Amino acid sequence: MSASNLARLGSANTYDLAIRNLSTRQSTLSNLQENLTSGKRVVRASDDPTGAAQAERSMTRIARIAADQRALETQRSTITMGESTLGEVTNALQQFRELTVSAGNGGYTAAERTTIANQLQGLREQVLALANRKDTNGLPLFSGLGSATTPFSGPNPPPADYSFLGLPGQSTASEVSIPGTLDGDSAFMLQTKRDGVYNVTMSSIPAGRTLQTTPMSVTNPSLVNGSSYAVAFTGVVSAAGTTTVTYSVTESPSGTVQSPLTAAFPDNLPATFNITQMPGLSLTVNGLPAVGDTLQVDPSPSSFSVLDDAIRDIGTASNANAASQAVAQALNNIDIVMARISAVRGQAGDLMNRADSITSTQESRGIQLEADRSRAEDLDMVKGISDFQNQQTGYQVALQTYAQVQKLSLFNFLG
Amino acid sequence: MGILNIGTRALQANQVALQTAGNNIANVNTPGYSRQSVVLQAVEGQFTGGGYIGKGVDVVTIQRNFSDFLTRQSTLATSVQSSDAARSDKLNQLQNIFPGGTSGLGAAISDMLNSFSDVASAPTDLTARTVALTRIDETAARMRSASQALDDLQHGVDQELRQKVSAINTLAQGIADVNNQIAKAKGSGQPPNDLLDRRDQLVRELNQYVQTTSIAADDGSVGIFLAGSQPLVLGTAVSPVTVVADEFGDPLKNKLAMSRNGQTVVMDENALGGGEVAGLLRFQNTDLVEGRNLLGRLTVAVSTAMNDQHHLGLDLDGNFGGDLFTPTTFSSQNIRKPVPPATLNSGTGDIGISITDVSQFSASDYEINFNSATSGTITRRSDGKVFAFPQTPAPVSGALANVDGLDITLSGTPNVGDHFLIKPFSTSASNIDSVFATPRNLAVASPIAGLMGSSNQGSLKQVSINVRTVPVSLATPAVFTFTGANTYTRSDELPIANATAYTFTPGQPIEAELPNNYPTLPYTYNQPLTGWTFTLQGSPKAGDSFTVIDIKDPAYSLDYKLSAGNATAMTGLRDATLFDGAALTDGYANLISQVGIRTQSAAYSAQVSSSIASNLEKDRTGVSGVNLDEEAAKLLQYQQAYQASAKMIQIAQNIFDTLIQGLGH
Repeated sequence: MSASNLARLGSANTYDLAIRNLSTRQSTLSNLQENLTSGKRVVRASDDPTGAAQAERSMTRIARIAADQRALETQRSTITMGESTLGEVTNALQQFRELTVSAGNGGYTAAERTTIANQLQGLREQVLALANRKDTNGLPLFSGLGSATTPFSGPNPPPADYSFLGLPGQSTASEVSIPGTLDGDSAFMLQTKRDGVYNVTMSSIPAGRTLQTTPMSVTNPSLVNGSSYAVAFTGVVSAAGTTTVTYSVTESPSGTVQSPLTAAFPDNLPATFNITQMPGLSLTVNGLPAVGDTLQVDPSPSSFSVLDDAIRDIGTASNANAASQAVAQALNNIDIVMARISAVRGQAGDLMNRADSITSTQESRGIQLEADRSRAEDLDMVKGISDFQNQQTGYQVALQTYAQVQKLSLFNFLG
Repeated sequence: MGILNIGTRALQANQVALQTAGNNIANVNTPGYSRQSVVLQAVEGQFTGGGYIGKGVDVVTIQRNFSDFLTRQSTLATSVQSSDAARSDKLNQLQNIFPGGTSGLGAAISDMLNSFSDVASAPTDLTARTVALTRIDETAARMRSASQALDDLQHGVDQELRQKVSAINTLAQGIADVNNQIAKAKGSGQPPNDLLDRRDQLVRELNQYVQTTSIAADDGSVGIFLAGSQPLVLGTAVSPVTVVADEFGDPLKNKLAMSRNGQTVVMDENALGGGEVAGLLRFQNTDLVEGRNLLGRLTVAVSTAMNDQHHLGLDLDGNFGGDLFTPTTFSSQNIRKPVPPATLNSGTGDIGISITDVSQFSASDYEINFNSATSGTITRRSDGKVFAFPQTPAPVSGALANVDGLDITLSGTPNVGDHFLIKPFSTSASNIDSVFATPRNLAVASPIAGLMGSSNQGSLKQVSINVRTVPVSLATPAVFTFTGANTYTRSDELPIANATAYTFTPGQPIEAELPNNYPTLPYTYNQPLTGWTFTLQGSPKAGDSFTVIDIKDPAYSLDYKLSAGNATAMTGLRDATLFDGAALTDGYANLISQVGIRTQSAAYSAQVSSSIASNLEKDRTGVSGVNLDEEAAKLLQYQQAYQASAKMIQIAQNIFDTLIQGLGH
């Protein structure tokens, strides 16, 4: 009577096995319940290590997109603020321009022009304040690649009456961010080579005589060197139907003098001639100069200098001739300044568009990542519930059969 | 009178049979009890002229029903199951130390780096700086608490091991005692069934703790051996086992050792086979070590990378940044030599380690073996890869060797055969802390800046400008002048400025000029990187320029407080490739998946071995277990035989009475 009876079962072992099976089913059921209540397929990393890692990665990327978006919103609001500030600057310049035009009214007295100059002064201060404006975090809006807290300082002693305390240049937008500042140098500072902004003033011309110049025109930018020039008329001779003007041009700060220089024009036509001895520049003089008249040609290093020059020249114009000269110069130069501002404003607009497109890309990436995360670790509820019910039925069956089978015993029939 | 005799014998035999069935029923739930059955034999008949006349029945013996083979198999399977279950159980605890999601360490690291993005948006805002500092503190705290949890787990496993080892010794003593009793009972000629059951049960219980091999001796005793050949019990003698440290005295690892005749034999846990002790040792010496190394590597890599980057920035007071986290230092905890009873190093050599490149880290311990004073091998324990030294090319730093971003230095003279254990990451997480409290000292500004020439005609824009080593030698600004759409000259060229026309490719980094005396300057030898670098995009026109300046250069009157260059660079660490090529922010995801895979596979093996063990136990009890229905049937069977025997005696009585009556007439 030895082993090898396959059908034989130890009674105690059948109890043990039944209990083990029941407890396995119970723990499966409890795990499924945990999945259902947490809504996750992957509660622990060991449930699905790859899925857990994927969900974790998606989570950090979602957090990162949120952080990048927050930074982008700050940048966008700064650029928006910069753009609207440039808009305010343009408005102020527009007002400045209108007042300047009105100052050209020949009927105005010097006192009236002084009043206008005072008004202009207020606008100039407004423009400088706008250029130094800071964003909500206290950072200058126009700091370029880095600047002092107040990037535009002035007025300083000439020739650099206003200076940009910062690093010119613009950084690029990346895939997830745009630069947080605009290039103040490009917006407000002027380059003689690039912009050719000069202010031409003249010695006092007595009433009854008219002497005007056109705004400076740049004929060859590569020759422009940014110097100031003084033009002095030394002789005016009319002979044989031709008037010949003799003059000298003194360059500063080099001190080079070109003399004598002459220009001629026919007597029977209005007096007009070009002064071309300033390298790369050409200045047209309208009217007959007298000996002793002088012209002063100064480059304007910044937008603010243009405004200051206009204020000074209009405010101190003693007669209509001087006022008209100042107004003509100012109007031309303000237009150049406004063109620069609107160029930078355009860049700001580009950046805002870029921010919009980054935002929409980031949003769709965020949705994508959320879907990835959900796929990796979330429970398909329908499947979860159906699995749970399956297991529940199984558990019920196991309990019932266990109770029934264990009731069977030969001892029940003895006796 | 034969019938009376036969009847009496039958009565006795069936009574024994009934008693045995009763004993079986009584012991139906006794662990280790083997079903017994009565072996009956017909008594040899008496020869007569009419042939052999039967003389009844006799009880030969009480047989213990068991299969040596199945018992052995079942014991072995239970042993393997215990080992797998113990390891799986502990791995579950280990994985709970590294939770995913927002409460995990990964989220803390990612939040910490993201908080620098807010600092970059508002470098002068002390609130954003304070948030960043709090995040750093939180990260350090989570690293520490994970490390603390690992220590607790380690401590618990250690305690459990010691308790189980003491149980092994008790069981071994029990087996030795039973051996003694069995040897004594052997003389009686009948098998001591219950003693044998008890010994088998003791062996089965012992195997739950550690797998054994049993070899029967002639005197009926059984020798119990561990790890194949180490005698735990020989006859009545026990060699007790103890828990000892490994040969390097590493407090984080344990070994099982046996002391016999004053000699201690250390057993490798891989030779132990099954049993809870083997499972726990495997968990402690492999899984927990890996978990600890993974956390340690994450800690060292993240804290060192953050510290290094922070050193490159300027704080609100214009000073270079200090440490954000406790800097990693290595002590004798990390570099271990053999301790008694292992053979000690005979040379005077000492090993030191230092970090050279956090991105090369591998989460492992290393063993160094010298086969001469200057040469030998370094074995990476996680995968067994062997690095020989001296290395070609030799580390420029003068170190003995460089392995996985660690410089290994030697002082003194080692002898042949000397060896060391290096555990670079085992303690780092427990020591990590944030060492920073004032938001003003957060080094957010970049020490250098770039500027475009203000008369630039082209479309150049700055993509990035980064500093790599401080202090920066930019006493005079470095001017890059473009001589065409794709060429430039540089004012920092040595020995003659602007001598060479370099090729410009938009989007390609331009590096600082390498000093002539490179590499004797203190550059990290495997990072031949320059002090700074910048990248431009767009197309330049001849005459355009870009200048790199020191941000504190008074000629430019800049406010360095407004610069957020270093905060941006800290944010950029999110993408630094640190962990086997994965980004820093993905490091934790890799960690949890690595621990998860271990836990998952341990759970699978526990399931498989549990089902094997359960099947084998079923088979074993199929032979040895008591079946109540069977015993009920036997009760009936023997009861009927008993009643019939009694009837036989009654008939004998009747016959006798008849005989007596006949005589009376």
